[in-house]
Amino acid sequence: MTDEHEALAPIELTEAALEALLFVAEKPLSRREIGSLAGTDRAMVDARLGDLQMSLATRGIRLVIDGDRVELATAPEGGALVARYVGADAVRLSPASLETLAIVAYRQPVTKSAVERIRGVDSDYTIRTLLHRRYLVELGRSEAAGRPFLYGTGFDFLERFGLTSLDELPPLDADVAARLAEEGGEPIHVPISSADEVTG
Amino acid sequence: MPVGGSPGVPVMATEVRFGEGRQAENRTQVQVGEFDGPLALLLALIEARQMDVLTVPLGALADAYLDALGRLEADRLGNVSSFVAVASQLILIKSRAMLPRQTDPTDPTALADEGTDPEAELRARLLLYRAYRDGGLRLAEEAERRMGLFRREPGAARAAAMAGARPTDLRTLDPSLLARALDRLAAIAPPAEMPPEVIARTITIAERAELIRAALIDAPMVVLQDLLQGVRDRVVIAITFLAMLELMKRREIVVEQAVPWGPIVARATTPDERALAGVAPEVDAAPIDETLESFA
Repeated sequence: MTDEHEALAPIELTEAALEALLFVAEKPLSRREIGSLAGTDRAMVDARLGDLQMSLATRGIRLVIDGDRVELATAPEGGALVARYVGADAVRLSPASLETLAIVAYRQPVTKSAVERIRGVDSDYTIRTLLHRRYLVELGRSEAAGRPFLYGTGFDFLERFGLTSLDELPPLDADVAARLAEEGGEPIHVPISSADEVTG
Repeated sequence: MPVGGSPGVPVMATEVRFGEGRQAENRTQVQVGEFDGPLALLLALIEARQMDVLTVPLGALADAYLDALGRLEADRLGNVSSFVAVASQLILIKSRAMLPRQTDPTDPTALADEGTDPEAELRARLLLYRAYRDGGLRLAEEAERRMGLFRREPGAARAAAMAGARPTDLRTLDPSLLARALDRLAAIAPPAEMPPEVIARTITIAERAELIRAALIDAPMVVLQDLLQGVRDRVVIAITFLAMLELMKRREIVVEQAVPWGPIVARATTPDERALAGVAPEVDAAPIDETLESFA
């Protein structure tokens, strides 16, 4: 897709044009896609996305950011009203799924064995369930022995939990948060499908 | 009664009842079936006593934990090893707490042989687990409060679904149109390729006789087996043999076979031999009669 756009004449990527593009797009767009469509570089895309995010901060539509990909969605404050209109229910997850989801959300990218070390119990079924519901996505493979899959959260997680980005995750226990900051994430080795899906 | 977790965070995993046991560690009864893992169970025991994870002596919970473990349902045995591992850790912690320990403040390596402190290790795991458990619960609370974010769904498909699969208002077509169109298409289509023609092969006595004659021009004698070397077709072999017999009948050749199944050797007759046999000295140039009557 990008190749055919690269040949097109550049279009000025204004904040309004970017907003219009994301409004029409019915799926998340990667920054690379936006850059290819407008014929501009990554820095310009990042700058305009930042502008748009600021402008929409108090509006009913927000910019949702998941690593490299972005989309427009309703603001968390409007969720209850929109949910009533579309007939959506609240998230219903088991305690095991919530624990697992929290571990992945705060530590991503993370392997299944890391999740199991924290939970103290086999988590294969729970992870598969969350993958099936698209709350979790495979980000790549770890460099550790056996090259296990690395998991992270996907767009569906942000949407269903009312988060416009991972920065809005509720704060963890202060001691644990400090420990996480020291540890850092697990390194990504090989992406699964495309570079767009690999986020640090 | 439900167990309270961290301040402001409800715990939905378990039910704990307080019994009448004499010792504090025996008074708590926990329904294990609700628990997904050993740390969840241990944490529930601590929180049921409203004790602080940071300071509670974990060894004192060993009996209560084992009691709960004993009531594990059979269908949860897949995870039982993880429960037992924590149980063994608790027993170790309890036994270490009961034994007198030699501590020498002047020697920082006095406890080196005992390795890492299992109580500190388990407590750290509990704290980490609790942080994520509570983090998950807060996520669920937020999700329930905000009801999520909504994006525009693929519009075309949804619009089509809402409109329903309704026929258009245009005039309906006559089905015979389709039949006529197919007929025209059949006429345009190139004719099917004909199967390859099969031509019957004809082998005549005259042909094979000519072959024998030609061989006898270059050589004084011909062995039939040599002449037919490499021939696999039994019809060709038989016709060649018949041609040889026909040439014998016309006294053109003489055939000899010394032993049964031996070489059949043919040679051309001389004019004298033909004269002696009562035929014209010259070779009969008339075509060979291939009708069955001639063999009678």
